[in-house]
Amino acid sequence: MPSVLLFVFLLQLFIHLLNTVGKQSVNDLLWLLFTKLPTPQSKAAADLSTLRNEVVRLNREMKATSAQDDFAKWARLRRQHDKAKDKYDNEARNHQSFRTNFDRAITAARWLGTQGLQFGANAWYSKQPMFWIPQGWVPYHIEWVLSFPRAPLGSISINVWAIACASVIKMIVEGVMALWTLRTGVVKEGPRRGERVQMEGMGGVGVKKEL
Amino acid sequence: MADDSEMEASLKPILDQTSLKWVFVGGKGGVGKTTTSCSLAVQMAKVRKSVLLISTDPAHNLSDAFGMKFGKDARPVEGVPGLAAMEIDPNGSINDLIAAGGDDAQDAMQGLGGVGNMFQDMAFSIPGVDEAMSFAEVLKQVKGMEYELIIFDTAPTGHTLRFLQFPTVMEKALEKLSALSQQFGGMINNLVNARGGLPNGQSFEDVLARMEDLRNTIGDVNKQFKNPDLTTFVPVLIPEFLSLYETERMIQELGGYEIDTHAMVVNQLLFPKKDNPCEQCNSRRKMQKKYLEQIDDLYGEDFHVVKMPLLVEEVRGVPAITSFSEMLVKPFDAPE
Repeated sequence: MPSVLLFVFLLQLFIHLLNTVGKQSVNDLLWLLFTKLPTPQSKAAADLSTLRNEVVRLNREMKATSAQDDFAKWARLRRQHDKAKDKYDNEARNHQSFRTNFDRAITAARWLGTQGLQFGANAWYSKQPMFWIPQGWVPYHIEWVLSFPRAPLGSISINVWAIACASVIKMIVEGVMALWTLRTGVVKEGPRRGERVQMEGMGGVGVKKEL
Repeated sequence: MADDSEMEASLKPILDQTSLKWVFVGGKGGVGKTTTSCSLAVQMAKVRKSVLLISTDPAHNLSDAFGMKFGKDARPVEGVPGLAAMEIDPNGSINDLIAAGGDDAQDAMQGLGGVGNMFQDMAFSIPGVDEAMSFAEVLKQVKGMEYELIIFDTAPTGHTLRFLQFPTVMEKALEKLSALSQQFGGMINNLVNARGGLPNGQSFEDVLARMEDLRNTIGDVNKQFKNPDLTTFVPVLIPEFLSLYETERMIQELGGYEIDTHAMVVNQLLFPKKDNPCEQCNSRRKMQKKYLEQIDDLYGEDFHVVKMPLLVEEVRGVPAITSFSEMLVKPFDAPE
């Protein structure tokens, strides 16, 4: 069943890419797209930023007015400012709560589209062999593991195939990253991201021995 | 004196507002709240059948102002027919309520053991409940007394606002207590009875019933306070920055509590004569003028701004207050 094989592989690739990009980045990206669409929320977001500007403007104006010399003006500004601030806080809270719900929905959808899909496929194709391995290649207990949990003995089950795909993708990506890091001489991820690679005796491109 | 174009510069409209039942007088310490509230009370007593003046300021000044001793019970003010005054301490305690004034309130709580402590902790963990309780008691007392008008001489600004917030705080607290007692009432009752009951032969139900009663009073009063026909707040201020600032803040907060305010008293105005050699007076007058202009600008449209002069003598005793109070009604003519 080459289509299932391919499907599982692509799914694992997709999961890996999503994890690499990061859940938060995905949420942020989708949120950005969502607020660009003509939804009520995009309007609210625009309103919110106008309101924020208004609060900031009033605050600046209030600071520029001397309360001692110009109390009436100052007090009026303050009333306006307090009113605008209240409104802003209120709307920001509403907005934030909508965002939380949005994030939750996206998280659920993402799970369904990745892990959920994999689980479903695992259940659906659990009894089907992905492909057969030649008889006698591996001893019985290995065959048993490879067909775990329910595929016929001597075949590769979908679960094992998914794990294999994930491992291979991970290894390949790591290998590519390592190669790239070595080529450029700059660390690509982790806490030391952006620093130069420090290695003794390696004359990679851009690697300069520092003493 | 520049007169307001829109609003009358006296408290006459407040005197004429016959539907009023509660008047609060408040402001920063030292601006003349007590003098103003006493004066207002004296004027009110002329147009109303019975007026009660209550001081909730812990530093009781009513006795001082009228030159006679007032206490926890309403006492008529000599020389002013129809006016009674009392001084209450807002720092009462919930224990008083639970023990109904008995000395062994603490013992009662101890007697309840862990539950009693929990009860106490809970009651005290709600801010303002302690004072709210005693305030509520006073309100209940006052409601039963059938005065036509009640004037509160409130404590300085911070206290005032807390005081006005009490009905809300109180309602929330009592709601919690009732809900809790409905859930655990039986259990607490068992515990209490196992220990031989509360002192003074009270039952737990009685305490709860009293609380419920109090809650109803509070709810009722709360509604009344928010009704501009029944209640108004008169801020007293002096034309100086801090006082003005606090007043503005207070007015905004009162708006938040939906308490009406449409008259203010600007106190301690200096009116030095034109050829006055006193430099200090003249420069202070200049400063006051600046703030007066600001006050007129900011509040002139919505408020009766009453301007009161600073007198040379202290306003103490019934005659002094009575003559001073005239100026609340008839705007003071500044000697030029």
